[in-house]
Amino acid sequence: MTAVAETGTPPEQPDDGRVGISIDGRELRVPKGTLVLDAATEAGIHIPIYCAHPKMDPVAVCRMCLVNIEKFPKPQPACATVAGDGMVVRTDLPEVTKLREGMLEFLLLNHPLDCPVCDRGGECDLQDFTFRYGPGISRFPITEKVHFKKAIPLSENIELDQERCILCWRCVRYYEEITGEREIVLQQRGVDTLVATFDDRQLESKFQGNLPEVCPVGALTHRKYRFVSRPWDLQRTASICPECSYGCNINVDSRDFEVRRFASRDNPLVDDMWLCDRGRYSFDRWNSAERVRRPVVRSDDESRDVSVPEAITQAARRLREIADEYGAASIGVLGSSASTNEELFLLERIARQVIGTPHVDHQLDAFDDLSAAEHELGIVEIEDCDALVVLGADPEEQAPVLTLRLYKAEHKKGARVTRLAKDAAAADAVAAVTGASRIGLIADETNRAHATELAAALAAIGSVRRLTITRGTNGRGAKDLGMLPNFGPAYAALTERGKNGRQILEGLAAGELRALLMLGPNPALEAEADLLERAVRKAACVVAFDTRPGIVSRYATVLFPGHAIFEKAGSITNVEGRVQRIRAGLPPASSTPVETRVLTSIAGEMGAVGWGSGDPLAVNRLLRDEVPAYGRAGNGGRALFTAEAVA
Amino acid sequence: MTLQAETRSAIERARDRYPRARSAILPALWAVQHEQGLITPDAMTEIAGILQVTPSDVEAVSTFYSMYFQRPHGRHEVIVCINVSCALRGAEDIVDHLERSLACKSGETTADGEFTWSSTVECLGGCGGAPTMQVDHHFQENLTPERVDAVLGALRQSAPAGGVAGGSAGRRLGAEMPVPRTDDNVRSDPAAERGGGPATTGPAGPPTTPQAPKPRTRRPRKAPQ
Amino acid sequence: MPEYKLLTKDFGADALQTLKGYEKVGGYQGLREAFKKFTPETLVAEVKTSNIRGRGGAGFPTGMKWSFLPKDVFPRYLCCNADESEPGCFKDRYLIDESPHQLIEGLLIASYALQVNTSFIYIRGEYHDQRLLLERAVEEARAGGYIGRNILGSGFDCDVIVHGGAGAYICGEETALIESLEGLRGQPRLKPPFPAIKGLYGQPTVVNNVETLCNLPHIVLRGGEWFKALGTEKSAGTRVFCCSGHINRPGNYEMQLGTPIRELLDVECGGIWQGHTLKAFQPGGGSMQVLLPQHLDLPLDMNAVQEAGSSLGAGAMIFMDETTCLVDVSMRLVDFYRHESCGKCVPCREGTYFESELMHRLESGHATRAELASLTDICSNMDGRCFCPLGDTATWFVMSAYKYFRDEFEAHCGAGRCPVRAQATALVA
Ligand SMILES: Cc1cc2nc3c(=O)[nH]c(=O)nc-3n(C[C@H](O)[C@H](O)[C@H](O)COP(=O)(O)O)c2cc1C
Ligand code: SF4
Ligand code: FES
Repeated sequence: MTAVAETGTPPEQPDDGRVGISIDGRELRVPKGTLVLDAATEAGIHIPIYCAHPKMDPVAVCRMCLVNIEKFPKPQPACATVAGDGMVVRTDLPEVTKLREGMLEFLLLNHPLDCPVCDRGGECDLQDFTFRYGPGISRFPITEKVHFKKAIPLSENIELDQERCILCWRCVRYYEEITGEREIVLQQRGVDTLVATFDDRQLESKFQGNLPEVCPVGALTHRKYRFVSRPWDLQRTASICPECSYGCNINVDSRDFEVRRFASRDNPLVDDMWLCDRGRYSFDRWNSAERVRRPVVRSDDESRDVSVPEAITQAARRLREIADEYGAASIGVLGSSASTNEELFLLERIARQVIGTPHVDHQLDAFDDLSAAEHELGIVEIEDCDALVVLGADPEEQAPVLTLRLYKAEHKKGARVTRLAKDAAAADAVAAVTGASRIGLIADETNRAHATELAAALAAIGSVRRLTITRGTNGRGAKDLGMLPNFGPAYAALTERGKNGRQILEGLAAGELRALLMLGPNPALEAEADLLERAVRKAACVVAFDTRPGIVSRYATVLFPGHAIFEKAGSITNVEGRVQRIRAGLPPASSTPVETRVLTSIAGEMGAVGWGSGDPLAVNRLLRDEVPAYGRAGNGGRALFTAEAVA
Repeated sequence: MTLQAETRSAIERARDRYPRARSAILPALWAVQHEQGLITPDAMTEIAGILQVTPSDVEAVSTFYSMYFQRPHGRHEVIVCINVSCALRGAEDIVDHLERSLACKSGETTADGEFTWSSTVECLGGCGGAPTMQVDHHFQENLTPERVDAVLGALRQSAPAGGVAGGSAGRRLGAEMPVPRTDDNVRSDPAAERGGGPATTGPAGPPTTPQAPKPRTRRPRKAPQ
Repeated sequence: MPEYKLLTKDFGADALQTLKGYEKVGGYQGLREAFKKFTPETLVAEVKTSNIRGRGGAGFPTGMKWSFLPKDVFPRYLCCNADESEPGCFKDRYLIDESPHQLIEGLLIASYALQVNTSFIYIRGEYHDQRLLLERAVEEARAGGYIGRNILGSGFDCDVIVHGGAGAYICGEETALIESLEGLRGQPRLKPPFPAIKGLYGQPTVVNNVETLCNLPHIVLRGGEWFKALGTEKSAGTRVFCCSGHINRPGNYEMQLGTPIRELLDVECGGIWQGHTLKAFQPGGGSMQVLLPQHLDLPLDMNAVQEAGSSLGAGAMIFMDETTCLVDVSMRLVDFYRHESCGKCVPCREGTYFESELMHRLESGHATRAELASLTDICSNMDGRCFCPLGDTATWFVMSAYKYFRDEFEAHCGAGRCPVRAQATALVA
């Protein structure tokens, strides 16, 4: 109180859970418990940090963030000091400047200064802060530095340079607080302290790729990015990891038409800034040169490259002919869990409204009785549960970053996490949650039926919310948008149930169905290559989009080059229903317009009116109008379907 | 498994004694070093198993403390304090004498594997009897070169011929638990503590467990001349 | 005033290290009295009344420290700090060597006052024989009914665990001690929360020095008021001073606080040895600033010594005669800190290394004046910036020596050798 009076701020403030703090003369009110560091950020004042990390508890070991606080006898670490009411903080005093210079001098004392050959150059906090706050000269008279080992391969992904390490403990705390694996620890002490693995063993974690990102300097680097590029030569595009349905936010860093790395892009609601190695190191898959590049039209005896308008006309005409001759129900339409919401939305409309066929799907086998209840639990809400049950290894194998959220719930929020067998008995599940009131149940989508049974049993203990791990990047979007034989968009009940994916392919192979309209690539179908090949060979007409040469491109009657995920814009929906944007980060491999445009044109040629330009953003607007849950979700929110909306 | 059953059960007993198992890491490392003379990765893995921690936790801890070592040492451990109080009273002479008489440098082991000796800046807490050294954990105070010779000579005599495999002090010493002071052998002469004589040398009898800072300093301690 | 023997009065008695011997001189009467006369609350109040301040270095009032424990949070823990590693200190070893049961009795009294059912004695690894002595004493005390369930029929239970360290000075710092006791690297913890709120295993914890605890039986038996009257107003009681260096009779001397330092030196220590004269002394152990002969008239009083720019710290007195090179002494202390820095924070880890490399160059006469100037700056960049007091104190002696013996430091620059030592050798020759 006295401090407040002295600084002249009005003494009486209503208790709104906030405290008033002044930093370099800027007054602001922040929630109680806010760290001085975060308050400074809010005030637009930069305080250099090394050990502090937004996802980890403060340790205050690097002392880089020390600031002057009135009434404190010594400088205090901004990263670990909680803002108090009336606190007067100064970062602009000469003593703070001197202190930073001093700290940087200490840090550089035993640093190898090998910036020219360090992969971190350009995005290194040590380099950056030295430029900004450093002393400019070195006065260390002793030539001998403490030497450690350099370029130690910790695994096929990670390289450790112990000399560049500034001992901020982030990697150690990452393993302690984020994954719980404790693979890297501190060894020795004093100036000989180093980070290392037990007995110099190799890393085994599925989440190693995060290490170079938590490291503020060049001590931990990606071996797959070794000497590949300087950060300023990279083009960075915000996108979503395409490896699974969890929807981790990434930056796609590309150079010279190739993806050079994926970097995490913190979304606290989804990935909490962590990626799994499967996702992170999948970037190279998008660099293969083998692509479908031109539209092709095939008849019995010839195959020719055609212009895009001609391909569109041919596609519309041939589909129309089959429908006229054999009826709309002789056409199957297959989307893909790798497609964007906009593409799926258009495809579903073409199927049901333009062509008029009931045979719509995006995978081989559709699920019975989908319900909104199985998608209730959101990813962050996992942390609110006091007991969590995970059925089988599938959920965490499908969506590895889920493991980290479970660990966070367990380690930081005190939740009880129990992993049971896929087909665990209800009694075991009940035993695992005794005493809990908020229960989370997590299962893979192939295990939905059993999860539904267990949920019923657990409901006797407390409120149960379920998270179902859908498969495929956008498997959730495909279901929400009705690419299903048994549900329309928003899980709308259908009077007539169509054939599922497998039945469509079998129908084509048997000559029962005549034509197929499909969006590729479709990993689910490709898993049944034989059936797929029989189907597309036999079909009278196959209108397909695909990115790479393969079975589909070999037999399609009208083939459109597809755009890989990083070559187009749109949105995809993750396991919990979060609708997230993707953006074009690489130049497309083909000059054919994106799928949404082509689909809109085909629909137009088949007689649809008022579908607009087919620009992904325009389609997105249409989609939001048509599917209210997506309208409410907007960009980045969750599309939730109330129980009533579900059949 | 590399540890003897006796060592394992000592570790298990320690584990059960503490409110949390992990607290028994230091006692466990002591037990291992007494048995094996050093701390190996295998032993750390085994400790980790007993205490329900990861082997990396054990290594992080064992390398922090200067009295656990990762290398085999001689049969006897000799540590000479060179901190201020001892230095003021001639510790450097003792260091020179050891270097000469044992014919090896601080941190090294004699050719016959008898002694690993080192000078330490870590004050041993024997400043009242400076200069001080510890031999196999026992204080030897008010040192003169002659006294050093007498102490080490007596140890040489008592050592079994031939040495033990591995040449590590702990292996032999671990078998002989130290004799604490009892009614019969108590020394109750505090005057000696402050007086001249070599009073606080502990009980007569076999030396006990070894100890030495492991070589963790990678640079020569003196600045280049 | 000569020695005032309170803690050490029975030292030398027959077989004092054994339970029988200790009981013979009235041992464990303090514990009996505590159960009889006090409730835990009144016992804490009595210790407050005594005004006793911690003997571990910081001199924090013990009763006040105890009263910080939150009410009704259990279990609580008590740790006796027997990590004594401060250069120049050997009093805790002496107290244990001579009378281990006195410490155990004090520990039990404190455990009763704080309602602690598990207490620890954290003893440094180098005190191997002392650890065994304590372990044996604990077993004896357990057999004698002083440790365990329902101690002496009081209804109070307490177990005592003796925990051996393994060579790390920093483990004397109370939060590092707690980490080490938990089986972690002995590195200090971020405060707040303070140990009184969240200490060992996340529970309320008190850490007290050996000597602090050894005082408790006497405070209980003679009363807080009596104790308070002993010594000075700000520094009550006696302290055991560890005297070493260039004196005739090095050793531990228990002195009533307030006695002039000169008396300790001249009467107990027998003055400076070999007819030499006092050049400087360090009160309080390796961490504390150097003082000069003119300071000998200061009383042994924590505040008085503090006002003179140093501290009684952990009660070590290192006396140096005129042949001593203060650069050499500084170098040794700086080496000590470099060796003992836990490595957690940057200024201490790198700063002590920087300091030590510089001091070696200086001591051998190879440093330049500019390098000497940077030494001061390095120290100012460390002091007050470190995570725990270890790094801060790593600069105190050097800076004070530089202040008082600037000429000596400067004479080393470019001399190619230590000029002080060279002069001393010349004198002898
Ligand atoms: C680096 C460092 C080393 C310390 N070493 C010891 C020690 O060896 N023994 C001790 O009793 N206190 C030591 N202390 C002080 C303890 O942190 C703590 O203040 C003391 O044990 C409290 O006991 P007391 O209140 O009875 O003095 C040390 C402090 C620091 C910062
Ligand atoms: S000052 Fe820093 S490095 Fe030094 S001992 Fe304390 S925490 Fe460790
Ligand atoms: S960022 Fe605060 S001490 Fe490192």
